[in-house]
Amino acid sequence: MVKVTYVAADGTRTTVDAAPGSNVMQTALDNDVDGIVGECGGAMMCATCHCYVDDDWTEKTGERHDGEDDMLDCAADEVKETSRLSCQIKLTEDMDGLIVHLPEEQA
Amino acid sequence: MPLAPVDESVMIKDLVLDPYPIYRRMRAETPVVRVPSVNRTLLTKAEFTKMVKDDAELFSSNDPESPMHPAFRAHTLMRKDGDEHRRERMAMQKAFTPKIIKTNWAQVYRDITAEYLDRLPRGETVDLYQEICGPVSARILIHILGLHGASDEDMMRWSQQLIDGAGNFGWDPDLFAITDRANQEMNVLIADCAERLRAEPDDSALSLMVNAADPIPWSQVEANIKIAIGGGINEPRDAMATIIYGLLTNPEQLEEVRRQEAWGAAFEEGVRWVAPIQCSSRVAMDDIQIGGCDIAKGDILMTVQASANRDEDLYEDSENFHVFRDKNVHQAFGSGPHHCAGAHIARRTVGEIMMPALFERFPNMTLPDPEAVKWRGFGFRGPINMPVTLN
Ligand code: FES
Repeated sequence: MVKVTYVAADGTRTTVDAAPGSNVMQTALDNDVDGIVGECGGAMMCATCHCYVDDDWTEKTGERHDGEDDMLDCAADEVKETSRLSCQIKLTEDMDGLIVHLPEEQA
Repeated sequence: MPLAPVDESVMIKDLVLDPYPIYRRMRAETPVVRVPSVNRTLLTKAEFTKMVKDDAELFSSNDPESPMHPAFRAHTLMRKDGDEHRRERMAMQKAFTPKIIKTNWAQVYRDITAEYLDRLPRGETVDLYQEICGPVSARILIHILGLHGASDEDMMRWSQQLIDGAGNFGWDPDLFAITDRANQEMNVLIADCAERLRAEPDDSALSLMVNAADPIPWSQVEANIKIAIGGGINEPRDAMATIIYGLLTNPEQLEEVRRQEAWGAAFEEGVRWVAPIQCSSRVAMDDIQIGGCDIAKGDILMTVQASANRDEDLYEDSENFHVFRDKNVHQAFGSGPHHCAGAHIARRTVGEIMMPALFERFPNMTLPDPEAVKWRGFGFRGPINMPVTLN
């Protein structure tokens, strides 16, 4: 198990346990974390799972996937350098402690 | 495992009139059921519809028996999978982003809505479905797509004809003759508009497609625009009419929506309650089991999101309209690779612009006879009239 912390736009922090292999969007949904919608189920077609990876973690979460840039353009909130679609971040053991920040709006 | 049970009793005409009691019974008794009149296996539980839509490899959109192909005279992206689907979709997706709407179009949409509201008489009973829901949706779509020169009436007629053709499961040749003519008319318009947009590009979907560095084939440009016409009018129109009905028949909710400016929540509940697109087809690519029933490779499944959206496992008092639900995770926009490309636009135009403008303009509007509102549709559903007294 790895721990993932979601920091809502208002600063509220929620830390949950996640199974490596799952992704950051699905983990949020499974644990009723507000602020991630994930309406397309991870197909990279809705941009309602937008998150900002905490600066300390961008190396571990790696580069954006093919096509992710284009879909991020469809996100409701501002896209920053640390922006990712959380459905595209697959959790691995070395992401234990991962922190992601959530935008104000997703849709 | 056994095959899914067969329900001979369900006829298409019953589903068109009122499918909800039928779906409720199916969810309770036969959540996976073969319905000969529709020639498909219906899935009515949220868990199953989502699972099927999320797994595009096992459940293909490429339904060989879909009447969509003759209706659109094209193999459209709706019936494609994988990279080809993504490429054709992304070719126009950027015209549908929240940012483009906010920065370039929101004011145009507000002005259009205001202009159509200006035409309405105060103190009289008016069919809002006819006067507002359809025409405003059509006019806004003309801007989004870049189809200047089309009339609201043309857009609404084409949209309806494409939808009737796509739902022509009985393969009636007269309906395809109608879509043939509509296709010819649309092709002429699309070609004219493309020529203008090549010279004067803007942020419309057609402009993005024709001016792209690596454009998709012309046949798919046409097909994409037609899909957007087929899907871009009825859905906002029906969503809007449904939400108006929900709010006017629940005045205490309307008051609270006004107080909190919760138009977004009203929008979500409207499309959950009566999803404008009620069901979709997928083809099983392998032998598989769903809900304890054997599904054979090649079987055509129908995911009924209309029913998933009322699944008792997910919602309390699911048959009724309640804006202020704790959680409202619905499947009105589908899921998986074919998640509705217009979801952001619908939320912003209908939820953030059209609904508040209407209720601000006519704060004491009433629906004198809710019984007079008629609802229709199996594949696509919504009210077909909305006689409201404006005040
Ligand atoms: S869940 Fe839709 S893009 Fe990530």
